[in-house]
Amino acid sequence: MKIVVCIKQVPASNDAKIDPQTKRIIRDTVKSIMNPFDNYALEEGVRLREQFGGEVIALTMGPPAAEAILREAVALGVDSGILLSDRNFGGSDTWATSYALAKAIEKIGNVDLVICGKQAIDGDTAQVGPGIAAHLDWQQATYLMEIKRKDERVIRTKRLHENGYDICEVTLPAVVTVVKGINTPRVPTLKGRLASLTADIMLWKPEDIDANIEQLGLSGSPTRVVKTEPPAPRTSSTIKIEGTPQQCAKELVRQLRLRSIV
Amino acid sequence: MITKTEIEKANFRNVWVIGEVEDGNILPVTHELLGAARNLADKRGSEVWAVLMGNSIQNPHLFAFGADVCLLVDDQRLTHFIDELESKILSRLIEKYLPEIILCGATSRGRALIPRVAVSSYCGLTADCTQLDIDPDNGDLLQTRPAFGGNILATIRSSNHRPQIASVRPRVMKIPQPDNDRDGITIFEKILPTDEINNKKVVDVYHDSQSAINLADAEIIIAGGRGTHGKAGFELLRQLAQKVGGAVGASRAAVDSGWIPYTHQVGQTGQTVQTKIYIACGISGQIQHLVGMQSCDLIIAIDKNPDTPMMQMADIAITGDMFEILPELINEINQR
Amino acid sequence: MHNPLDHIKNKIYHVEILPPKQESTKLLADLDVFKEKYLRVMDSGYCACITDNAMGLMAFQGHEIIEEMNLPVHPDQIMIHLNTFHTKADLDNILRCCKNLGIESLLVITGDGSDRLPKLQPSDIDESDIEAVTSVELLRYIQRVYPDTFVLGVAFNPYEPSDHEFAKLKRKIKAGASFIITQPIIEQNTQVDRLLAEYPNIPVTVEAWMSKKLSLLSDAIGYKISEDTQFDPIATLEMLHQTYPQCGVYLSLVGFKTQYDLIKNLWI
Repeated sequence: MKIVVCIKQVPASNDAKIDPQTKRIIRDTVKSIMNPFDNYALEEGVRLREQFGGEVIALTMGPPAAEAILREAVALGVDSGILLSDRNFGGSDTWATSYALAKAIEKIGNVDLVICGKQAIDGDTAQVGPGIAAHLDWQQATYLMEIKRKDERVIRTKRLHENGYDICEVTLPAVVTVVKGINTPRVPTLKGRLASLTADIMLWKPEDIDANIEQLGLSGSPTRVVKTEPPAPRTSSTIKIEGTPQQCAKELVRQLRLRSIV
Repeated sequence: MITKTEIEKANFRNVWVIGEVEDGNILPVTHELLGAARNLADKRGSEVWAVLMGNSIQNPHLFAFGADVCLLVDDQRLTHFIDELESKILSRLIEKYLPEIILCGATSRGRALIPRVAVSSYCGLTADCTQLDIDPDNGDLLQTRPAFGGNILATIRSSNHRPQIASVRPRVMKIPQPDNDRDGITIFEKILPTDEINNKKVVDVYHDSQSAINLADAEIIIAGGRGTHGKAGFELLRQLAQKVGGAVGASRAAVDSGWIPYTHQVGQTGQTVQTKIYIACGISGQIQHLVGMQSCDLIIAIDKNPDTPMMQMADIAITGDMFEILPELINEINQR
Repeated sequence: MHNPLDHIKNKIYHVEILPPKQESTKLLADLDVFKEKYLRVMDSGYCACITDNAMGLMAFQGHEIIEEMNLPVHPDQIMIHLNTFHTKADLDNILRCCKNLGIESLLVITGDGSDRLPKLQPSDIDESDIEAVTSVELLRYIQRVYPDTFVLGVAFNPYEPSDHEFAKLKRKIKAGASFIITQPIIEQNTQVDRLLAEYPNIPVTVEAWMSKKLSLLSDAIGYKISEDTQFDPIATLEMLHQTYPQCGVYLSLVGFKTQYDLIKNLWI
């Protein structure tokens, strides 16, 4: 099986600090990490290769520094990494991002399965996985908790939805997105990490993937962010309740009644 | 890029709602979207169309909720959710009827379906909107959505493309009061041979028996964390949830400890929820959890430690032992 | 197997060394620093103590660094921390490698999790009546699968409610722990006094905080120390020796450049 895992570098915060005035989180995005859902996608790709043989390639689009997560992917067991990085990719929305990734997947060639995390924690859109499938005109299956191989050309997936799940059989080639419950991602070993330091990471530009420049980056993106603002403050103060358990319960019910909730 | 001129844009009219149908029943998110769509259409002076795809759809005439036109595709091949089939049908109908705006639920199904449609129609898609407005002059949809776990609200436009597509977070828009005197037109559409897919099938469907009410549908979530100490603690949460008709949520730490399945996890690697009430029991409030629930209307925290981030964010913070307070709370509610 | 009491008898410091972090951007340099510190501890005749993803921050494992860098192993001069945030496969691999390398001392702790650290599940180690794996179950598992292979130690936290902590300690000892290391203390501590009175036959090592930054200590133990407290680690270490002459000492965050030579003659 030839598998491509699409990953993304996202900003991360460490400690939760709450602004006492707005009751909102004070965000300090000091470092970049691999999108947490992508760990599950990578692990699933590596496990499928361990079971059925083949090759796993990690693919990302981002600034040159995004190379770090490709090395991390190599440390976790993928065979190679490809970085799409170029001025022309900048400012892409989900349409243009999924177009570029789909073109790269076409360029890689003979890919059976593309695995993405459910969504990225910065944009939270969950649109890029299905977008890639649409650009490639492949089958898709989203929010997977399980991937099994039925035969050479068909995978049997467990798709999570709001009220439970279904079992869906999908013919390859296909694009899937996975949720956290699908596996327990391994932690990189020192050997793996040392090997990743010298691994070759390929850098691809728009011309390497035969992409139409018009459909990349800002110019290829149908949407524009016209305004960003912090959310409204939550509340001005916290009502603190202390006392015996019974007093606490009574006071809470009273507070809820004040708000016409009970 | 393929942008549309003003003249081309003028051909696109009306606001579509892509309804959600399960086992023939129309799900409430459909009615919520109709309320939002009605509001936009009234400002723009256009119509609301409800688009329903399913098998043996019950009571498909959604005029009372604000639809002017119901576009029905009722076929046994639409019993289960086949992304590619629904997106092909929808893309074809878009080309035929040229809607200006399309709204769909930001549900597992909507989020799988609508990006395919947006890509094949080369139009803008904004995910998980919580506010919608319209520029009445040019029909531009002003789509506001939270990003970075709700820490930023971004407003997005797609001025040069039509239709404009938005998925809308469930339970944010209000279901309109039904007006049974309203009437409208029903259009029946069929699946064409070119829509058909034969390389994907749904073999089985399971409903989660663990919680009758799921997180996405709940108005109240009772959530437990490390301080819940184990399965017995979650049993207590379940009792309270049953009493108030709520769902049980959990922090990552509790899920990773194996006390409750992953489907209950709230937060960055779980679900984002926006309920009326969120009761956090023994959850210290790591940032990854807070971003998943900070948009709930009323946050109540119960913890032995009064200084945790969760206790600071909460609207009501109760310092104490959940194992003592929750039984008292259930008692209090029983007495009413 | 070595006797943990010998560390105290022979005045052998436990010196904590933090392994390079997973997210390090200068891994090779970090490994060299680790090696240098490790060899220095060996030369001094002390015991190197290597942490296991301390505070939930992902780092490399002690055994893999020792293997990769071919570091010498003297059974009475190395102790590895082992917590409950590993998959079963990783846990078994760690134990197997430690055995093969001749590492005997393990400090078995519950540890801190994170998004990326998998928690050992009760079913992994054939436990059914518990809600979550703690150091007690991990001790039992190691004793069962590797009998008479390791010298197992446990942590004691004098800042937790004492009855609860002593009940936990009792279970840890019953599960096979043969030495105890406390959380850092910076003055005489009544809980440690009680510990010594209740367990006169089990070697107790107190942890000395060697960083000048007390705020870090507050974070680590969840107990507030006033910000403006004047703190002299070396003087405090001397005081601990005088106060607890029957105890060993575990040095956390020791400054290899500034402090290491100063501690040479303190334990007399």
